Amino acid sequence: MALLRREFAMLFGVLRPCRRAAVRTASALRNLCKPPASMVIGLYRIGFLAFLMALWQVAATRMGSNVLPSPLATWKAAQTLVGEGQLIVAVGDSLTVYLSGFAIAVIVGVPLGVIMGGFRILGKTLEVYVFALAATPRVAFIPLIIVLLGLGVEAKTFIVFLGALMPILINAYAGVLAADEELLEMARSVGARRGRIFTSIVLPGAVPFVIVGLRIGATIGLINTVVAELYTAVRGLGGLLAIYGNTFRMAEYFVVVLTLAAVGVIVTESLRYIEARVSRWRVI
Amino acid sequence: MTSAGDPAERSGDAEVRVVLDRVCKSFVPAGGGERVSALHDASLSVGSGTFLALLGPSGCGKTTLLRLVDGLIQPDSGTVRVFGAPPRPGPDIGFVFQSFRLIPWAKVSRNVDFSLRDLGLTAAEREERTRRVVKMVGLTRFADAYPSALSGGMKQRVALARALAPEPKVLLMDEPFASIDAQTRELMQIELMRIWTRRRPAVLFVTHSVDEAIMLADEIALMGPRPGKVIETLPVDLERPRWTYDARAEPRYVELRQHLSSRMKQFVLNDPASEFFGRDLGQPDATGP
Repeated sequence: MALLRREFAMLFGVLRPCRRAAVRTASALRNLCKPPASMVIGLYRIGFLAFLMALWQVAATRMGSNVLPSPLATWKAAQTLVGEGQLIVAVGDSLTVYLSGFAIAVIVGVPLGVIMGGFRILGKTLEVYVFALAATPRVAFIPLIIVLLGLGVEAKTFIVFLGALMPILINAYAGVLAADEELLEMARSVGARRGRIFTSIVLPGAVPFVIVGLRIGATIGLINTVVAELYTAVRGLGGLLAIYGNTFRMAEYFVVVLTLAAVGVIVTESLRYIEARVSRWRVI
Repeated sequence: MTSAGDPAERSGDAEVRVVLDRVCKSFVPAGGGERVSALHDASLSVGSGTFLALLGPSGCGKTTLLRLVDGLIQPDSGTVRVFGAPPRPGPDIGFVFQSFRLIPWAKVSRNVDFSLRDLGLTAAEREERTRRVVKMVGLTRFADAYPSALSGGMKQRVALARALAPEPKVLLMDEPFASIDAQTRELMQIELMRIWTRRRPAVLFVTHSVDEAIMLADEIALMGPRPGKVIETLPVDLERPRWTYDARAEPRYVELRQHLSSRMKQFVLNDPASEFFGRDLGQPDATGP
């Protein structure tokens, strides 16, 4: 048991720092609510954005618009793409694939991880295979998935699901195994039965782990969305990337990249917000 | 020094709540290796309403003894009896841990309520009981606070409330005030005494502080290390309540204190596993310049 936990600590050394980082983020968010500090940080951020734009502008003039479009050219391209509708359609396509793949990964991964953690023998039996699958680049399965599911939405969703599943499952599993030994003994001494110990001590204790898993899963899921759209039927934001990239329409290409960044930020920030909400008890 | 009597002889007493008879318990250390004997032939009996302090240096199996009495672990040999039967963890036996062990995501009232869930009480009864116990430990104002907002002393009061809520007949306390600052500790001791005087469960109170043992206990079971066993049991015949007068000035207190302190020191100096093993602490440093 202790050995297993050390293995986990090595494999997922990121977990604890992440947890701590989450606490820090939560208190940082709180600090942001105070007017003076938040104003200053806000100004710094706007200042840095201006700096980035200036840098972009300089680089664009230096390199020429066929390599790096200027911010203005990108803005214009964005207006055209939104106006003509292809960007909205692409975002819709990509979000459908991304969110459904991610949702299925959550629905499968969290319960499976919890069950593996709850039934030690089952967990011990399956964990080697889970780790092996997690260590295999999931992109390697794409040809097989295409053979099985074709090039449509099902194949794409499955590729996203496969990418997001492993971090979600493994973190849920690790969270259940990391249950506080001292609290477990306390619960036993009170006379609590196994079921109550599991629902009142083990599961709530695993929540921070699960959320870290969701965040990693969301990031990998987005990556796999683009990968899927590049490898299967070329559609969505990944499809636009391929089209504009291959035809050197760099301004349009940049619009797609920035859209993907925005999707990623919105999803991970929402998860961060949820995390801050469910761990309110950590900060006073 | 008078011994409080042979445990086997006293176990005939109908009032006896907890009896340990030649209990042995050993463990394989967490990192593997040879089995370590934590308790060897430990015998003890605690009468109804008696406050017994288990006093001894670290490594003499005090905590192991409490876990045996709670039924959290089973002895290798010998017998443990609570109310005449092998103990099972539950509402009849309360346990206060040194490290508080509060559920961090549950508010104070829910932490206290945690020990009431298996008693078959209605929600209203549980709420009423929780409110009463929280009031008893003086935390009504903090009933809706999370443990992270509480000081060490307050956390231990929550833990005490949780242990007392099911109204146990035996209360086990494992160095409950060891991680609390000295002044708060003294007040907590008085608080505990007041509560105990009213409810009178049998208490097994583990401590390595001689003063704490004498201030609180009716009887002191002195334990020696490696392997842990009960060396002697001494009655503390000081008048109660002890916080209303200066018990430390009583000749009996001084006598007990001297005896127990010197025994404790001997244990440490004669314990090969101790960092003070073989040191002569009676003399000024002879190896100095």
